[in-house]
Amino acid sequence: MSDIERELEQELHRVLDPMSARPIPPRRSIQAHRTLKTLLGGAGAALTIKVLTGVAVAAAAATVAGVATTGSLNPATWGQQVEQRVSDCKSQLAAGAHGIGDCVSTFANQHGAAVASAARHHGNGNGDGSTKGNGSSNGNGNSNGHSKDHLKGQATVPATLEPEASDPVAGHPPARITPGP
Amino acid sequence: MLEEEGSREKGVLPEPPVEPERYEPGSEPDFERLYRNTYRRILGTLIALVRDVPTAEDCAQETFERAYRNWSTWRPDAPVEAWLHRIAINVAISDRRHQRIRQAGEVIRRLGRPAPGPDPSLVAERSDLFRAVSRLPTKQAAALVLRHYHGYTNREIAAALGVPEQTVASRLAAARKHLQVVLGR
Repeated sequence: MSDIERELEQELHRVLDPMSARPIPPRRSIQAHRTLKTLLGGAGAALTIKVLTGVAVAAAAATVAGVATTGSLNPATWGQQVEQRVSDCKSQLAAGAHGIGDCVSTFANQHGAAVASAARHHGNGNGDGSTKGNGSSNGNGNSNGHSKDHLKGQATVPATLEPEASDPVAGHPPARITPGP
Repeated sequence: MLEEEGSREKGVLPEPPVEPERYEPGSEPDFERLYRNTYRRILGTLIALVRDVPTAEDCAQETFERAYRNWSTWRPDAPVEAWLHRIAINVAISDRRHQRIRQAGEVIRRLGRPAPGPDPSLVAERSDLFRAVSRLPTKQAAALVLRHYHGYTNREIAAALGVPEQTVASRLAAARKHLQVVLGR
């Protein structure tokens, strides 16, 4: 055994023996530590929280929109209504005629506007300028693609710069400014 | 379990029993007995590898957690302490990696401030030799500690670490050479 090996052994025992001779602590509980570490520890925690929050918000928004549209918590209700509307539109058309898209998209637009209104009511709206846009996009998603052209000709809410009737400022007479002498 | 090489004569720690303890894989009381019998020796290894006692204690608990999770699959034909040391060294390697990341973050966070020193009560009086050992690459330091503190043979270290015996010899030679260079001998 070389000098350095002998010195190494002596040094390791001199330093490590007193430290490792401390009382043996109780063994750490595996379950509690592991669960906490998984849920709260590391960089994954932030991602986990974000994902869970996103899922919760999306689920809440879908529930609110569904209930506002159909009046029911069951998402199948909306599908049933669309099916019913499609069959009604078919029966209104003459045999062999086309154009069911306009008929169905009108129905979809009405419900799209209702969804947008409900979303805005729950804090998801982007102001009055987006009301028509939200409604239209929902309508497009549930129609057969003709609704874009249909909407171009259908000015349900014309764009205007006039203040809304609900604007409290509009209830007051306009201020008059008289130029000074 | 381990061959005697005379290196244990200087040790203060209780010697492992001549007749190896028998453990039943998956047995809760046996694992608790294993914990009591081996904790100090595992802690000694970890102190040399991770440099401070609180971190070593945390790593020791992590070691026994990992061992407990695999306790039912441990095979009694392998020395249980060697198996524990293998887990402990992996835990130490992982901890050192995390320490480097944490230290980089601390340096950025404390730019311009004086860094506080370690708690003197938790750091033993250490010589240049011990500091040099704890700064070796973890695998080399582990081979040194198993050889010169626990008195394992190269074959036992190879079995514990799951590497060829020649690899152990190479690591020990590299570690000794490094120490000689650092200590100027």
